[in-house]
Amino acid sequence: MKKIWAVAKNTFKETVRDKLLYALLGFAVLVIAGSLLAGSVSLGQDQRVIEDFSLTAMLVFLLIITLFIGTQLVRREVERKTIYLSLTKPISRDQFYLGKFVGLCLTSAVSAVVMGTIFLIVLYLKTKSFEWVALWAIGALILEIWLLTAVSLLFSSFAAPIASAIYTFGLVLVGHSSLTIWSIAQKSGGFLKGTLEAVYYVFPNLEKFNLRNEVVYHLHPNPTQTVAIILYFVGYTVAVLLLGMSVFRRHEF
Amino acid sequence: MLSIKNLTKTFYQGPAEKTVLSGISFVVKRGQVFGFLGLNGEGKTTTVKIIGSLLFADKGAVKIGQFDHTSADAKQLMGFMPETPQFHTHLTATEVLRYAGELFGLEKPVLDQRIPALLEDVGLSEAADRRVKTFSKGMAQRLGFAAALINEPPLLVLDEPLDGLDPLGRLDFKKLISRLKKQGTTVFFSTHILSDVEEICDEVAILHNGKIIAQGSPKKLTSAKKTLEETFVELVKR
Repeated sequence: MKKIWAVAKNTFKETVRDKLLYALLGFAVLVIAGSLLAGSVSLGQDQRVIEDFSLTAMLVFLLIITLFIGTQLVRREVERKTIYLSLTKPISRDQFYLGKFVGLCLTSAVSAVVMGTIFLIVLYLKTKSFEWVALWAIGALILEIWLLTAVSLLFSSFAAPIASAIYTFGLVLVGHSSLTIWSIAQKSGGFLKGTLEAVYYVFPNLEKFNLRNEVVYHLHPNPTQTVAIILYFVGYTVAVLLLGMSVFRRHEF
Repeated sequence: MLSIKNLTKTFYQGPAEKTVLSGISFVVKRGQVFGFLGLNGEGKTTTVKIIGSLLFADKGAVKIGQFDHTSADAKQLMGFMPETPQFHTHLTATEVLRYAGELFGLEKPVLDQRIPALLEDVGLSEAADRRVKTFSKGMAQRLGFAAALINEPPLLVLDEPLDGLDPLGRLDFKKLISRLKKQGTTVFFSTHILSDVEEICDEVAILHNGKIIAQGSPKKLTSAKKTLEETFVELVKR
């Protein structure tokens, strides 16, 4: 565990010393703060616009951080040969891979906390009350990003950074269209139905993590839904990590 | 301390294949300084990378002490420096050594004591808090050497450690190797710079065309009339 933590700390340090992260975070904060302006020009829907706009902006910026930083990390270690420093030490490849994952998760969690804090402040300034449900939505968003971090690590363990960013982005598009894919599958037949159903089951259903409607319509989270989200996150992420580790274990450097 | 038995490695690139190692075997005894010699592209780095578990052998066995070289027990006994060591450029020299030490499970107080001493040994004390990205090739080589020593290993495996070092650096390196030898450390290193090998090695092995073509002490391999360099050239041209 200590060795995984050592890699995670190093990964976290590497990402937080990356100027790109600050540029993206700065821009995200500006966009979220700008939702106050967007809300003020809407007709009596300020709060709804702020919530929807900010949560979408958070998802987009956290996704960009994952795509630009996450997909490069392992590949960069291999290309720059810095991986030699780690793998020749008494640490297994699985521990190294998990360390990278934990480090990246820390980076996205800190980024989400920064963005989330700005969002909650903006929301408080508008409503003069604290929206617990917004906190719940931010939590689900972090889980979604962690799942996508595992996916981007998997892709980056065998593909070039640009390719793995494209694959991850493609997976996000499919993952957020899960319900549409399922409904098309139910209206189709034969081969198409089977294919679409396979896509539905194999690709992550990222809509499970989308709680924007709950925030906008002030629907309080129910425990069953929360448990389902957590179990889905754990199951899918563990499966992707296991797959990634089995690919990484076979690599030669 | 290090035993290599029947090591075979072939690289495939599409339909083309190149056998780099064809069943090489040798043993490095405890406390020895062992030079692994060969021309460029002969498989020295491949052998070193297999020892460091960066590449997988097609056949054969590598043991460090009594352990298989891929095990954590074996790696715990080994200090490793790759050819042209590279580091995370966002870290300082001290942070690089701390990271390397943490991977060995070393505690903070041990590292707090060991890191400044190691940086002093390799002549990097003044650069301790400088980011590695500002380091010259020679400085990176010195830091690589310090990182390989962080666990005070009984076995040191070095790939072309003299590459990139100026004459002063090479002299420092030789002094350090002599000191480690006195402390009982086993040193295995690959090189093609033969002038230094004669001075510091107890034994050498010459790799050519995937096979060990000669092995023994530098004195045994050379004659009164020929230097190791001349003997080496004669052997590989044969």
